[in-house]
Amino acid sequence: MIEMIQVSHRFVIGKKGRERVVPVLHDIDLHVEKGEIVAIVGRSGSGKSTLLNLMSGYIHPTSGTIRVAGQAVTGLSEGDWADFRLAHLGFMFQSFQLIPSMTAFENAELPLVLKGIDVAERKKRVMALLHQVGVAEYAGHYPGELSGGQQQRVSVARALMLNPPIVLADEPTGSLDSDNERQLLALIRELNRELGITFVLITHDEQVAATAHRTIALKDGYLLNAPRKGEAHSYEIQ
Amino acid sequence: MKFNDQVRFVRQNMKKNKTRLFMTVLATAMGCAFLIVLASVGFGLQKSIVDKVVGDRLVTAIDVYGIASEDGVDRQIDEKGIAYLRSVDRVKAVTYRNNVRQTIRSTVDGAAVMPGKVINVDFEAETAAGFGLSAGRLPQADDEVVIGYYSRIPAEGFKPGDEPPSAGEWLGKTMSMEASQFETDGTERKKSFSVKIVGIAAKPSREWQIDNSVYIGNAAMGNIESFTGTQWGEQRIAPDKENPEGYEPPGLQDPRQYSEIQVIADGARHVKAIAEQIREQGYFVHSVADELDQINLVFLIMKIGLVFVGTIAVLIASIGIYNTMTMAVTERAQDIGIMKAIGAHPSAIRRIFLLESALIGLLGAIIGTAVAYVVSMAVNAGLPLIIEGFMDEKVPQDFRFSFIPGYLAALSSLISLAVALLSGSRPARRATRIDVLRALRRDL
Repeated sequence: MIEMIQVSHRFVIGKKGRERVVPVLHDIDLHVEKGEIVAIVGRSGSGKSTLLNLMSGYIHPTSGTIRVAGQAVTGLSEGDWADFRLAHLGFMFQSFQLIPSMTAFENAELPLVLKGIDVAERKKRVMALLHQVGVAEYAGHYPGELSGGQQQRVSVARALMLNPPIVLADEPTGSLDSDNERQLLALIRELNRELGITFVLITHDEQVAATAHRTIALKDGYLLNAPRKGEAHSYEIQ
Repeated sequence: MKFNDQVRFVRQNMKKNKTRLFMTVLATAMGCAFLIVLASVGFGLQKSIVDKVVGDRLVTAIDVYGIASEDGVDRQIDEKGIAYLRSVDRVKAVTYRNNVRQTIRSTVDGAAVMPGKVINVDFEAETAAGFGLSAGRLPQADDEVVIGYYSRIPAEGFKPGDEPPSAGEWLGKTMSMEASQFETDGTERKKSFSVKIVGIAAKPSREWQIDNSVYIGNAAMGNIESFTGTQWGEQRIAPDKENPEGYEPPGLQDPRQYSEIQVIADGARHVKAIAEQIREQGYFVHSVADELDQINLVFLIMKIGLVFVGTIAVLIASIGIYNTMTMAVTERAQDIGIMKAIGAHPSAIRRIFLLESALIGLLGAIIGTAVAYVVSMAVNAGLPLIIEGFMDEKVPQDFRFSFIPGYLAALSSLISLAVALLSGSRPARRATRIDVLRALRRDL
C-alpha cells in the first residue's frame, strides 16, 4: 500500500549564505501492506514525523521513490497531491486540527465539501459517521465546546469521510487521557478489521505501538527494523 | 468544490470581521461613486450640448438651403433639384415644408381655431423620414391632415408654464379650412375645404416652442392652389391708388420653389458622403452630423480623461481591499493549512479568496452606483438653484450637469470589480502558498 525505496531527506536551515544542511532520513526502505496497522516509533528527532510528512506529501524527499496506493507520488505537483490526498488518504493529528470557527458537523463535512458532494448526501454521510464514532449529539458544537476525546472523534470522522484506503495518524493519542486513548485505539482496530483501512501511526506510546500489527523503529534517521505483517515486534528504543 | 460552498465559506469568513468588511466596502463604494459622478459630468455636458445642437433635427438629416448657379445668383431649389436630391445614392427621403402663403381660417366643431401656419409636406417622404407624431397616424387619404401639438390653445392664450389642452381630443374630427383670394378688381372670394384630423405632431422639445400648425399633403395643397390659381395659395393684391401695379403671385405654370428641404440619409454613417456629393453639385448644405463629429470627439477625450481620474479613486480604494484580503489570509492561515492538509486544491483556495474580493468589489459597485445616481440627481436639481441664487445666471432649460447612461454604470462596476479582483489576486496567491506544516504547528 505504501512503498518507500531508498528515501532520504534533509532540511536546509539558516539564513541565505549561511545555510546548513541537516540530514533527517537516510536510505529508508519501507513497505506497508494493505490492511496493516503500522506504528512508527522512535525518540523525538528520530525522523518519524518527517517520514509521515513524506507519505502525506507535505514535504518531498531529497532522493528516493515513494509509491502510495500503487501510484508513484514523488514529483507530483501541489495540485495533484491535493487530489491524491482527497482520494486516498485520511489524516489524524495529535492536536486534532479542527477549524475553530466550524461546528463538528462542518469540520467532519470538509472532505465532502472539497470533493464537491451534494448537500443531502453530505448530511447523510456526516451524521452516519459522527454517529459511528459516537459524537453525533455534538454535531452542532464548535471544537472549543468539545473535550479532547470528542474532538479527536470528530477528527476521525473527518479522516474517514471519503472512505480512504489509508489513514496517516501523527501521535493520534498524544492529547488524550488514558480512557479516550483506549477508546480511540479500539476504534482504530475496529475500522481496520471491518473496513480494511491501512493505518500508519506515529507514536512514542507503547500502548499505541502494541495496537499495531507491526512496529517500525527509527533512530537518528535510520530505520532499525521493518518487520512484515505477522512478524513479532522486535524493536528497542535506546 | 462547488460554487455554493465557496460562497458559504466566503460568507462565513466575511462575518468574522464585519467592521473591517464594512470599511472596505465603503471605500470601494466611494471610489466607484466618485468615478461615476465624475464621468457623468462629461456625459451630462455632452448630452446637453448635443441636444442643443441637434434640437428637433434628425442626425441623418442634411439641410439644403439653395443652389449656386452659373450666373452667380443663388437660387432656391426647384422640382428638378428635388428630383436630383431624391436620386442620390443612400438617400432615404427628401422632405420639404412649404407654407401656405395666406392665413387660413379654420374651425373645428364650429369653434374657431387659433390661426397658425398651414404647411404643405410630402407625407410619403415624411413617412420614410419619420415624422414625429404624439398621437394618431400620418395621412393616407387626400383629405387627411396632421395638426400641431398645441393646436388647441385657446384664442386668449395660456399662462407660461401651464399645459394647454391636449390636441389629441380632436383626433378623428373634421376641420373646416377657409381660403380666400382677391380678384383683380379687389373683390374677395372664399372657399371652405373639409379635412379630417388623423394625427397630432410630436410635442416640441423646447418649452417655448408652440406648434399650432396644420400639416397638409400635396392633394390638399392642390385644392387650395386650384382655388387661388397661384403657387402655395398666395393671395393677389389688386391694384389701387397707393399701389397701382398691385401684385400678381407666381402662377401654377411658373417654376416652383421649395422651402425647408431636408435630405434624409438611410444611416448616420452615410450623412457625410451624401453631404459631400450634394455640395459638389453646388448645393448649400448643412448637416448636424458635421458638428456632432467634432463635439463628440472633444467629449470622448474629456470622458476618457474623467474615467481615468475616477479610476484612480477606485485604485486608491483597492489598497483597502488588498489590506483586508491580506489580513484575512493571515488570520485564516491555520484554517487554510488544515484544508490543504486534508486535500483542498490550491485553486479552490485561490477561488475562495478571489470570490471574497470580488464580492467586496461587487457590493462596493452596487452601493457606489446607487449613491452616484442619487448624487447625480441632486446635482441636476440643486446646482441650477445655486447658480441662479448666487450668480444671478439662468441655467438653460433641460440643461443637465450630470448624466449617467447605463453603460457608464456598467463600465464603472466592471472597473471596480476588476480592480477588486486584481487587489485580491496577490493575497489569494499567498493563501495557496501557505506551508501546511507551519500552519499545523500554528507557526504562522
